[in-house]
Amino acid sequence: MKKWLKQNRFIAVAAACYLVTFAYSREVFWRAAHTTWGYIIEMLQVMPAVFVVASLVTVWVPREVIMRNFGGQSGLKGKLASILVGSISAGPIYAAFPIAQSLLHKGASLSNVVIIISAWAVVKLPMLIVESRFLGIQFAAVRYAFTVPALLVIGALTHGFLTRDEVLGDAAVKVGEDLSEEERIAGVLPGYDCGACGYSGCEECAFAMLRGEADASACTVACEQTDSALRDMLDAQQ
Amino acid sequence: MNLSTWLLIGGAAAALIWSFVRDRQKTKKSIGTARGMFFNIAGEITGILALIGLFLALVPEEVIRNLLGGSSLFLSTVYGAAVGTVTILPAFVAFPLAGSLVERGAHLTAVAAFITTLTMVGFATLPIEIEHFGAKFAAVRNLLSFAAALLVALGLGVFL
Repeated sequence: MKKWLKQNRFIAVAAACYLVTFAYSREVFWRAAHTTWGYIIEMLQVMPAVFVVASLVTVWVPREVIMRNFGGQSGLKGKLASILVGSISAGPIYAAFPIAQSLLHKGASLSNVVIIISAWAVVKLPMLIVESRFLGIQFAAVRYAFTVPALLVIGALTHGFLTRDEVLGDAAVKVGEDLSEEERIAGVLPGYDCGACGYSGCEECAFAMLRGEADASACTVACEQTDSALRDMLDAQQ
Repeated sequence: MNLSTWLLIGGAAAALIWSFVRDRQKTKKSIGTARGMFFNIAGEITGILALIGLFLALVPEEVIRNLLGGSSLFLSTVYGAAVGTVTILPAFVAFPLAGSLVERGAHLTAVAAFITTLTMVGFATLPIEIEHFGAKFAAVRNLLSFAAALLVALGLGVFL
């Protein structure tokens, strides 16, 4: 019930707002519905493919390959590869999150993950063409010439504020001292609630781990780092 | 659908077929994961998109135009960045709008800030980003991108 509410809070808020709008102005309501419909179509076109790619990367691509190409030691080549991954991908910025997350879990560095997300949002050849058409080629060229270096700087600066482990363990930060062991473990799990482990969600999986029914590596999405953190937590329990 | 969307879908399908030929079991499992992830987040995304749609229908284009074409270049730029932050527009809507804003007197710098934050900084998508990476990461990335967008816009203002 709690999970259901959390998953549907935005739909509930949106439905309430649309109801009020419908009573107040039909015209605004239909304009909003029309725009939203366009967005939803875009989401349905892009997101299933994005999640398929993200989960195939998780299953197939060896950790070493991601580490070598996008890890902390990948250098300038890794940054350029990150820009390339972001710029050839389709879809709005929220489509970048699942792919970037699976790469982070597989060993990509934090700054490269940030570069992928930002490049996904701003560096796009089709968009460059549209931009030149409406704002002039000079505007588009200069904006890109400033933006691409800015992406690299943003990536580098993120490292100054956060570490990779911190982000991977941010769930653990979310989790306060007074929480039960089950909630603590669920906090370390990726939180996709995908059910691929055989349990209905991350919390259920955490519960099974505590009871010793599931192994610390039961989660198909979590990276090795997460697995070993879970193993430590479970060992401390016994 | 544009070319890059077709490429994405085609690429995903090809990868799926390749994976299926290599290992049926693994493929089934990853389809399960993908389906779980999609249904887990689809409701949230739909709700957020609906709210953005409503927001854009309620705020007339004139308001945005006035904000981006004010007497102070600096303030207009900050407004441009702010408007870009709270909205999400597909490129084929955003660029014609930006073009018409420039024609009607909006500052180029303000429009550059608007376009850059529009794509890179997502106030509306923040809940989705937090779901994937945690609140700290989302806060740091968005604040840094906002600052970078302002700098890009100001740099562009100096050049053009």
